[in-house]
Amino acid sequence: MVALESPAIRKPAETFGQDRQRLELAALSAPAVLFTVGMIAFPVIYTVWLSFQSFSSTGKQSFVGLGNYAHLISDNEFWHGLWVTLALYLLSLVLQLVFGVWLALVLFHAKRLSGIVRSLFISPFMMPPVVAGMMWLVILDPSIGAANYILTSLGLPPSDWLASPTFVIPTVALIDSWQWTPYVALIVLGGLQSLPPSVYEAAQIDGASPFKTFQRITLPLLLPTIVTATILRSVDLLRFFDIIYITTQGGPGNASNTLNIYGFRVGFEFFNIGYASALMLTLTAIVFGAVLAFNRLRNAVAW
Amino acid sequence: MTAKSVAAGLTLSIITASAIVSAAHAADFDWKKFQGKTVSFLANNNPVSQTLLKHKADFEKLTGITLKVDMYQEQQMRQRLVTVMNAHSDEADVFMTLPSREGAQFAAAGWYADLTPMTKNEVAPDYDYAGLSQALLKAATYNGKLTSMPMNIEGPVLYYRTDIFKKCGVDQPKTIGDIEAAAKKIKACDPSITPFVSRGLKPALPYTFSNFLHNMGGSYMVNGKSALCTPKDKAALDTYSHLLRAYGPPGVVNYSFPQISALYRAGRAAMDFEASNELPTVMEGGARLKDTGLIPLPPGDGGQVPTTIGWGIAVSAYSKQPDAAWYFVQWATSPAVQKLMAVQGIAPPRSSVADDPTYRKWINEQPVRKEWQAALDVLASKGTSEVGYPIVANPQSREFIGQAVQSLILKEKTVDQACADADKALDALIAQK
Repeated sequence: MVALESPAIRKPAETFGQDRQRLELAALSAPAVLFTVGMIAFPVIYTVWLSFQSFSSTGKQSFVGLGNYAHLISDNEFWHGLWVTLALYLLSLVLQLVFGVWLALVLFHAKRLSGIVRSLFISPFMMPPVVAGMMWLVILDPSIGAANYILTSLGLPPSDWLASPTFVIPTVALIDSWQWTPYVALIVLGGLQSLPPSVYEAAQIDGASPFKTFQRITLPLLLPTIVTATILRSVDLLRFFDIIYITTQGGPGNASNTLNIYGFRVGFEFFNIGYASALMLTLTAIVFGAVLAFNRLRNAVAW
Repeated sequence: MTAKSVAAGLTLSIITASAIVSAAHAADFDWKKFQGKTVSFLANNNPVSQTLLKHKADFEKLTGITLKVDMYQEQQMRQRLVTVMNAHSDEADVFMTLPSREGAQFAAAGWYADLTPMTKNEVAPDYDYAGLSQALLKAATYNGKLTSMPMNIEGPVLYYRTDIFKKCGVDQPKTIGDIEAAAKKIKACDPSITPFVSRGLKPALPYTFSNFLHNMGGSYMVNGKSALCTPKDKAALDTYSHLLRAYGPPGVVNYSFPQISALYRAGRAAMDFEASNELPTVMEGGARLKDTGLIPLPPGDGGQVPTTIGWGIAVSAYSKQPDAAWYFVQWATSPAVQKLMAVQGIAPPRSSVADDPTYRKWINEQPVRKEWQAALDVLASKGTSEVGYPIVANPQSREFIGQAVQSLILKEKTVDQACADADKALDALIAQK
């Protein structure tokens, strides 16, 4: 039998005060936490529930268990959408990382950068995606757009741009890279500015060339920042929607039909909310998986 | 008193009594009945609603009702509507709807309030319900319920450049075959002009393609099954896709009405098969006012069966104030307002407005307007609203039609392959109840 006054149970005064403080803090932040959990958890749970239902065109609802997921696996449109999503994701990511790092290096080494130039760099990703999409739709119009006008006046053949089944993915990747490379550049610039100068001084003393410095010092040290930028861009790129919806709506044919576009159309144009929920949950799982994988990578390259 | 005078007196008193009763009834209708209320209107951003809402202040002054407007681009508006309706929300009292596309679906889902009793009881004396196009009213009636009031009448028409036709020695096409011949001649005569432009964007092309199909004697469904592989349907698929592939602008698979109208207005296209209510957009700036001719799609083997649809304005079944909402609906579709909209290029679904002298004056100002009205008269009398399959899942059926045509434009499939794939998918869709 344990005595009530045994030393193992009685707490010293400080920890008791700390516990009390923790309780107070928890009570004060409870409303915000509950709200956040509710706002995130409830829609997810509801979507999971919806994905187990089937909706006919007239709105009649019936429980089908894993039927929607079984249909998903046998749906060619889904696998094609997955392929389009991944192709667009990889192409855009590579473009944005390569040019983002390059742009960050340029900005880092620029002696002075006027406010106007800085604003110009930031403006693309400050623009609403709809505005960017409409702007590029006009510029890239094969008949009356500026892009083909420039190409033809340089003697180059005009392109169908967004209307070509082969070039629509690279074109959309280019538009997105135009918009978001400055964002990546800003992140990498922050990383560059936090690098320890002592390593560079040592390299200089040892007579390392600029290229070797970049390859052996800058790049490895920048890897955590680059992986951070990758995570931030991946979350957006895997859910690619805005530009495609404004410009091609998944076309021509289904050449730019990413999973998000497909799920959206299934849900809101064909009113098959159950199947759309299953599609969107699959996409969420993919994004989640990618973020987890990249987080691991970032821990691996940390220094 | 003679019997005659008694009879006369009696008749007179009956007439007076009924006159007083009807005057009292007419006086019963008070535009200001719902003064102070707010009606929310979920609108599509197209020329019809833009023109209507130019006169928003008139409505608010007449009724004292505040009109709250939420305007979105067409597909986004539809998505917003679906979200609001699925939640049974009273957020939208009144909304625009396209019976030819979603009428069956929304009616089956119970989203429309039945307007039949309102058109009989709470209606202004000069509303002229009987003057509305019976065909459009019929298209908006499901299971005996009138689901929306027609705002306009429209359909695809062929705009063409009379000056280019003259230059290249081409006559006005009298049959569908003539269109291809004209396009060929124009391409040889002036390679810098796009001979023919129409919709190639997958969800949008059934609107223009259906007219080709019906004029060439085809039909989407035969005996409850998809009929795209029948000879006439295959001919229509082939003709439409070939016209766009051989004589259309580069990138036509992305083209819907904004790009088409922009191309024609800029003078870069010789023939433009697009919606009749693109007239104001095409004529903007006046460059095309004098050199444009306008006809309905010429007949093919199936005669002339133009596609005729109209936007409707409906009251939500979940609205908490359907009567106040109805006041807006009847104002928006009243002869007075439709007359105002008519002279701004929104074709009225009322013959009375079409015959109105002010409107006639506007029509007679420009030859192209006369041709436009003549084309609309053909649409009103001979038209069909069948754009896509006559099933509840009409929007999804348009996806498969669009896929078939696009795969032909892009030369990804042969006609036989495209129609077979589409038939398979559509039969599965039809079988779904």
